[in-house]
Formats: sequence, C-alpha cells, structure tokens
Amino acid sequence: MSFQIECPECGCRPVGEFHFGGAVRERPEPAAGDHVWAEYVYTRPNIAGVQREWWFHRAACKQWFIASRDTRSNVMQPAQTPDSQEARG
Amino acid sequence: MTDHNAPAAAGQFEFLYNGRPVRSAVGQTLAGALHAQDEHILSRSFKYHRPRGLFCCSGRCPNCLCTVDGEPNVRICITPAAPGMKVESQNAWPSPKFDLLAVLDRLQAFMPVGFYYKRMYKPRRAWPIWERVIRQIAGLGRIDRHNSGGRYEKLNLFADVAVIGGGWAGLHAALAAADAGADVVLIDEQPELGGHLRHDPDLAQDAWAGMLRQATDHAGVRVLTSSSAFGCYEENLLGIRQGNRLIRLRANQVIVTTGGWERPLVFENNDRPGVLLASAVQRLMHLEHCRFAGAAVVVTDNAQGYRAARQLVAAGTSVAAIVDVCPGPPEFAADIPVFRGHTVVAVRGSRHVAGVEIAPLAGGPSQSIACRWLVQAVGFTPASALLYQNGCQLTYDPACDHAVVVQYARGMHSAGAVNGTHDPHAAALEGRLAGLAAAATVRPHDVSLAALLADARRRLDDWQARRATCAAQYVAESPAKKKFVCLCEDVTEQDLCDAVAEGYANIETLKRYSTVCMGPCQGKMCQAAAIALCARETGRTIADTGVTTARPPEQPVPLGLLAGRAVRLALVRRTPIHDWHERAGAQLTDAGDWKRPRVYSSVEQEYDAVRCHAGLIDASTLGKFDFRGRGAAEFFEFMYPNRFANLSVGRVRYGVLCDEAGILLDDGTISRLQDDQFFLTTTTGNAAAIDSWFRWWLAARPGLDVRMTNVSGSYAAMNLAGPRSREILQPLADIDLANAAFPYLAAARCIVAGVPAVVLRLGFVGECSYEIHVPAQFGLAVWEAVLEAGHHAGIQPFGVEAQRLLRLEKKHLLPGIDTDALSNPLEAGLPFVVRLEKPDFIGRQALERAARRGPRQMLVGFRMPDGFAPEPSSLVIHDGRPCGRVTSSGYSPAAGAAVGLAWVPAAIARNGDTIQIQVDGRLLAAVVHDAPFYDPAGDKLRS
Repeated sequence: MSFQIECPECGCRPVGEFHFGGAVRERPEPAAGDHVWAEYVYTRPNIAGVQREWWFHRAACKQWFIASRDTRSNVMQPAQTPDSQEARG
Repeated sequence: MTDHNAPAAAGQFEFLYNGRPVRSAVGQTLAGALHAQDEHILSRSFKYHRPRGLFCCSGRCPNCLCTVDGEPNVRICITPAAPGMKVESQNAWPSPKFDLLAVLDRLQAFMPVGFYYKRMYKPRRAWPIWERVIRQIAGLGRIDRHNSGGRYEKLNLFADVAVIGGGWAGLHAALAAADAGADVVLIDEQPELGGHLRHDPDLAQDAWAGMLRQATDHAGVRVLTSSSAFGCYEENLLGIRQGNRLIRLRANQVIVTTGGWERPLVFENNDRPGVLLASAVQRLMHLEHCRFAGAAVVVTDNAQGYRAARQLVAAGTSVAAIVDVCPGPPEFAADIPVFRGHTVVAVRGSRHVAGVEIAPLAGGPSQSIACRWLVQAVGFTPASALLYQNGCQLTYDPACDHAVVVQYARGMHSAGAVNGTHDPHAAALEGRLAGLAAAATVRPHDVSLAALLADARRRLDDWQARRATCAAQYVAESPAKKKFVCLCEDVTEQDLCDAVAEGYANIETLKRYSTVCMGPCQGKMCQAAAIALCARETGRTIADTGVTTARPPEQPVPLGLLAGRAVRLALVRRTPIHDWHERAGAQLTDAGDWKRPRVYSSVEQEYDAVRCHAGLIDASTLGKFDFRGRGAAEFFEFMYPNRFANLSVGRVRYGVLCDEAGILLDDGTISRLQDDQFFLTTTTGNAAAIDSWFRWWLAARPGLDVRMTNVSGSYAAMNLAGPRSREILQPLADIDLANAAFPYLAAARCIVAGVPAVVLRLGFVGECSYEIHVPAQFGLAVWEAVLEAGHHAGIQPFGVEAQRLLRLEKKHLLPGIDTDALSNPLEAGLPFVVRLEKPDFIGRQALERAARRGPRQMLVGFRMPDGFAPEPSSLVIHDGRPCGRVTSSGYSPAAGAAVGLAWVPAAIARNGDTIQIQVDGRLLAAVVHDAPFYDPAGDKLRS
C-alpha cells in the first residue's frame, strides 16, 4: 500500500501519514432498536467499488476529512471538507 | 600462480579465498580476480553438489554465491574486490574443487522431483531427522548471528521522471525527458552507466561517450549508480537499494529500460564450469581484462554471438566454431567455421568443459568439437518484473518469443530491450519517445513537445517495421538426464516432465512442486525455459501456459535495509523535568514515546513517603486538552457516559470514554474552569488516540460551538500527594487551600510558585493530593520549588512503580492494562459512571443492552492470604478450566497481603468468594475483595 492522499490542508502525502476512519455512515437514532444498532456497531460495509470514507492526517495537520476511494484500485477523488453538509450526505 | 612474496604492484592488493591469498587489481570484481587465477569451480550445486563456475557474471545466477566477510550468499561476480576481504565457498566440503558430497550426483535416480514428499513423510516421527540431514546437505550459506551487515540508512527522493536502467534506451529516455524540462532520476545497478554498451565495444555508437557525458552533466538528471530498483509499488513508489542505503523514490512517471538477461539453453551438462553466457564472457574480457585460454565454441542465433566470437579472437582465444541455430546466411565471421542450423546437444568433461557435441536441428548425426569454453548467445529474456509489479499487463508475443506490454499502468513507460527492441537505433528512438511522453505528462502545456513526440513516434514505426527475429529452441532433444533447467535448485528437464506427468501441469503448481524458479535467481535464468517445457509437455501454447507471478523484491534485499535505522534514533519524548530526574539518578522506563522515572530510591521508601508525608510525581506525560465554547458541556454530555452538564465551575470530575460498542477506551479528568471553558486530561498512552477520537466526533458533528486545543506538550504537570501536601503547597499558592475552601474534586486557576497554574484536587493515590499544571517552560522551576517547600516535611519524588502500587491499593484500574477490547465500564467495576437515564451518548445502546443482559465477567480486587503475588496474566481457574486472568498485582503494605485485580466470571465475583489462581502449575486461593485495600471509606483523600 503506497498510494497518496490529497489532504485538503497539506496537499498530496503518502498514505502512511494518515489514519483510516472507515466508510462514512449515518449514526442511527437512539431509538432505532437493537437490530439497527448492532448492524451499525459491528458490521462494516467492505464494498468493492467507490466508497466515501474518513481519513485523518495524523502525521501533520490532524484534520479529519472525507474522500472517495475506489477500494479496488485505491484511486481517490479530491477530498471534501467535513464542515459542508453535502460532504456528510 | 602468483608469487605471493613479490611486492604488490601499484593499485594491486590481496584478498583471501578459502584462506588462500589472491591478488587483485583496483576495479576488479572478486570473480574477475579468481578467473584470472584460473579458479573456475566456485561453488557446488544445491542438490547434487555438482561443480559450478562463473555463468552469468551479472549478479543473477547462483553459481558464484560465496560468504564474504561473514555475509552469506554474496554474488562475487558483481562485488568489487577490496584488500583483506575474506571469501569462503558455500555448500562444499572440504572445498569446491573436491567436495565429498559430490557422490550425490550419482544418486540422481533416487532423488526424483519432490522426493522428500514421496520418500520421507512416513513414519511421521522421522521427518524432523530427515529435515536436519537435508538442511545439512542442501542449501546456501550459513548466517553469522554476530554479523549485522553494518549500518543501514534511508533516503526519500522525489522526481518527475524515474528512468530505471542506464543503457542505450535509458540514456535517451532520461535526456529527452530532461531536455523537455522534467526533473529526472536515472538509476543503474552497475557502477557506471551504459548497460550492454559497456562490455560490447562493437555495439557502442560514436555518440555513446557524448551521451554519457551529457547525462552526467545535465542539470535536470540525477544519476544513481550501483543502485538496483527492487520494487515498483503503487503510484510509482520505487524501492532502490544503493549499498546499505534504502532509497524510496516517488516519481510521477517511471520509464523502465531494464533491458534483459541472457537466456541459457538446456542441454546435457549445460551447468559445467566453462559454459558461459556471451555477455558474461564480454564482461570478463572488457571490464575485468580477463583472458580465455584455450579454444571456445559459440552457440548463437543473433549478431551478438558473432560479435562475441570476433572479440574472443581479438583477445587471443581461438574460436573453434560458431554454432548458428538459424538456417539462414551467417553474419561475417572471418575464418571461423560456422555450423548453420545446428545446436549444442551436450558438453563433455567432468570438472570443466572439454568439448561440445553439436547436431543439426533438422536431425542427423552429431559431431564433437574439442574446446574449453562454450559461449551462449541465444537472446534475452526481458527484465519486465517491475512492469508486472506495478500492474502493467503483458502478453506473450510469438513474434519476438517473449511477453510484451499491452496495457501500461498509470504513469508507466518502457523502452529498449525490455520491449524486445535490441537494435540500438530503434532502442534509442523508443527511449526518446518514452522520455518525451513522460515529460509531456508532467509538462502538459509545452507545445514544442508535441511535434518532437510525433517525430520520434514516426521514426520508431519505421524501425520496427524492419525488425526481424529468429529464436533458438531452448531445449535440445536428447534422452540425457543431466539437462538443467534451473541452476539454483538443480531442477532438470526430466524433473519437470515427471512433475507434469504427476499432474502439476499448471505453471504455478509446477513451480511450487518442482521448486523451479524458486531459487536465488527467482526465475531470471530459468523461467523462459520452464514455461517452454511446460507448454511442450502439456501441448499448449506458451501464451496459454502463462507466467508465474512477479512480486517484489526483484533483487535480493537484506532485512537490515528494510529495518533501517538503529532503534536509538526512534522518537523519544522527554518531559520538561527530565534532566532533573536523570540528575537524581532515576531509573527510566518507556511509556509510549515518553521516558518516565520508574523509581528513584526504592519503591518501599517512595511508598512510605507518600502514605506518611508527601510525594511528588512528574505527570507531564498525561494528555491535556483545552476545550472552549458554549457547546462544550453538551459535547461532553454526548462523549461521556456520565453527566457533565451539571458540573459546576471550579469542580473536576472523573470520566470514562467508551466507543459505540460500550468498550472502555480511556479514563481521565474533566475540570470546568469557566462556564464555557474545560480542561481535560487523558492517560499517557492513549493521548494520541483520544485526540483523534475527539477530533473525529467534532468533524462528524459540525455546528457545535466547541473548539479543542491539544495542550499536552504545552503544560508540565506534577502530582503532589500525601497527608502533608496541603501544608507544603499552601505557602506557594495564592488561593486558600483549606479543605473548606478547596475541597476534594475542586479545580482552580491560580498562581503556584509565581507561575500561572491549573490546580486540581484529586484522589489519585488515595491521599490528599494536588495535580498542578503549569506552562512547560516553568515545569522544572515549580517542581524544584515544591520539593524545596516540602523538604522539612519529608517530601520525596516518586516514580511510576510506586504510583502503580499506591493506585492498586485504591483499586484504580489502568485502561489498556486492566482492560482490553472486550471490557465495558459496567463489568470493569465502574457502573457509577454509566448514566443510562441520559437520552443519548456514545455507547449508550450497547451499554444499555449490556445492563439488561447483566455482567458476564467482572474486574474484581482480590487478596492472597499467603502473601504471594501472582504475575499479571496468571490464569484464574474455575471448575478445572481457565476462566479469567490477573491484570495487576503487588504486595500491599496497607492490606498486609498480596493484592491485585483480576477478570473473573460474574458467578464468583461477589465479595468474599474464593477464586483459584494458577501459579507455576499450582493453584493458589485468593479472596474477592470489593472495597479498596487502603482507606476503604475514602476519608484520607477528602481530608
């Protein structure tokens, strides 16, 4: 694994500087019930394809951001800032 | 033989070969020096212990592997000789010339392919014995455990364009890209650029010397020689070995101009010393100034063989014959007899070539030619491993008899012999084209580039139209047994035929079963022939047979190179008070990246000081966070299972962080300094993880008015604890510390020893204690001031060892030590921090479910009546089965007994229950103890 990630703050950096935060998912409502919560807490989507995911630039600016990555090729689309509502989707 | 008593000539020196001095000249390789001394048997083969000599002279084949200065498996054909080097042969006893195990060569019939799977699997108990025998007989060098291989270092480089291989195509590629404005790194594994041009003088163009100078002088080209690119990884990250230096080169574009390695033929006794590849002979002649005494025979299918023959004649070797596999008209060969349409079927001679047997390919009687050398020039296998590694797709092309790129991976190019382009003019054009294409990607708006690119492409098409090939068959038709496909593992044609007959017809299973391509050369010498044989035996085409997977590293890489720098250069964090600890003679211990005092005097003394007088511990390693904003209280209310909205200004509260599964992540304190200002601490080890955790939730829930600042490194912290701590601190502080004014769990900004501080009144070790946070630059001054003020009261600094015992007596758990990835606060003895009446917080659903289900295991305190403290990780045994474990333990002076914490099933977790702990195979009884072992009512910490 030696691909590079475009950090919105720092630009293009090697993946080793980042911490992977998993696919972007919506947190269920508190009253959603055990089944929905168990799914959220214990199951990861692990798809083969383009996925929106969280990345943390731990070695430099310490910003979390959302970026799209093709899990088959590690080709990434430019990151979105997490502040914008559409980024959270 | 050399006269060893003669004084060494200028530039000459000696090294030791198997204990014997050998003279060498500066610039010579070890193998070149040994050839000049008529040392032709350099090793014994892996399985049959057959004599082996120089064969490829390019650092690929296994024949010259020796132990050099204690480092095993060094290819001496590419290792420059140095004065005093100690070179030892491998896999031969007593010497490579006379090896007792050579008898194995006569026992071939008893060692068919996969013989150890067939002969040695029964009885099962015998295998370890066989394994030891086989390891003794077969194999490579021995590892010297005391030889670390020297110092290793790492270097990161960046470039627009990386060109791998400094041959004719690579030089043109590098110069074309650099002229177009790209920043180029040119990498070559040889000590000088030039590739085959270095040792094939007839091939070298007039322009060659000029090209070399241009490349070395060009401001846009950085040249790395003696550097082998062993891996091409995702997004064009190259792993390059340059001696003991690992270079990580990130290039926007990579041009592979690695050329190829010569392919050997397979015929009877094709491994005899004296059988060499043409490029090996040319290297020895032109780079090492070696001679080949006696007659030579050249077998070839191309112009290189004729050139090699002419060069041999010019160097004084008589060439007895050129055996040309092609039936067409020969190249000009002066007065050397040429046998057209013939091939070599066998070599005669037991320890060195004494003659060759040749036969017409069309069939007919064979004839013998006496000679001492057999030179093979039958074409090249492209060195395309780096292309495969980075995801290029290659397909076998019957026209040129090797795989060619049909689809390049992003940012990859190739040119020259690696594409099968051997003609120098075409290779130069291809190189230029690749260089321009790569530069165009980096400088896309350069208009003049487009015209150059079109011009180069047109001229290349002209050249490729004229390309012609005529390839030799790899394997001579004969019933002989000793026809070696794989020199590394002694795999013969017969072995591969047997393996296919036994069902290993897939090239990947054939490889694993027969071990062909699995030796030190990793298939560089044998892969093409193995695939051709597999295709022949299975009646498939070579394209359908496929290739084995090429993985990094392409060249052997010492582990030290990857491990890199010495441990002492790893990141170490020191607290602002560190130097004082060292001066005080503290024993230091590692806590994450930090160095912390473990103990100063003795644990007992430090314990007594804290319990009876006062102690001071450096707590600067804690994670510290400043939170501000109107939404901070609401944020904590959500982040923590316990309540924070009702935390008053000037108060501090213990908090436990959980994840969504209700698993305990960390603990710490949260102080409210103002209505919208909080000061938060985490444990030392989890500071970075909690920083990331908070930042993620802040990013995922934007809109809250909260700003977080990690001030871990900005503050020094110390904890003053003990019954006399108040009287010590009061004179230094500008606030009233009396219990009524500043009680247990109070928090305040104030001045301590003249420095602005945050002071927290905590329990910590079970005594009245004050945690003092001050700006880092004043840490040492405040530390010394507190010690000075406490001198009369018997204050002592204490380390983490005493702290752990003091806290264990209070049954305080340590996240990550006493808890793991299955521990929730309900079961870890902290049910009071979980406030399920709150509508929502992280982990609420999981904790609510855990509360409904009831505890399965519990973290409990225990005391051992007989005073023996079991090691952490000792097993708790219940009903004869392991069902839990000890996480912390120690001798508690307060309890007068050994005490500890352990995870046990809920059924035996009640106060007074007896549990069994396994110690050294014996079961010792312990009693579950609910209350803290010291001051169970908590009077002291409130006093």
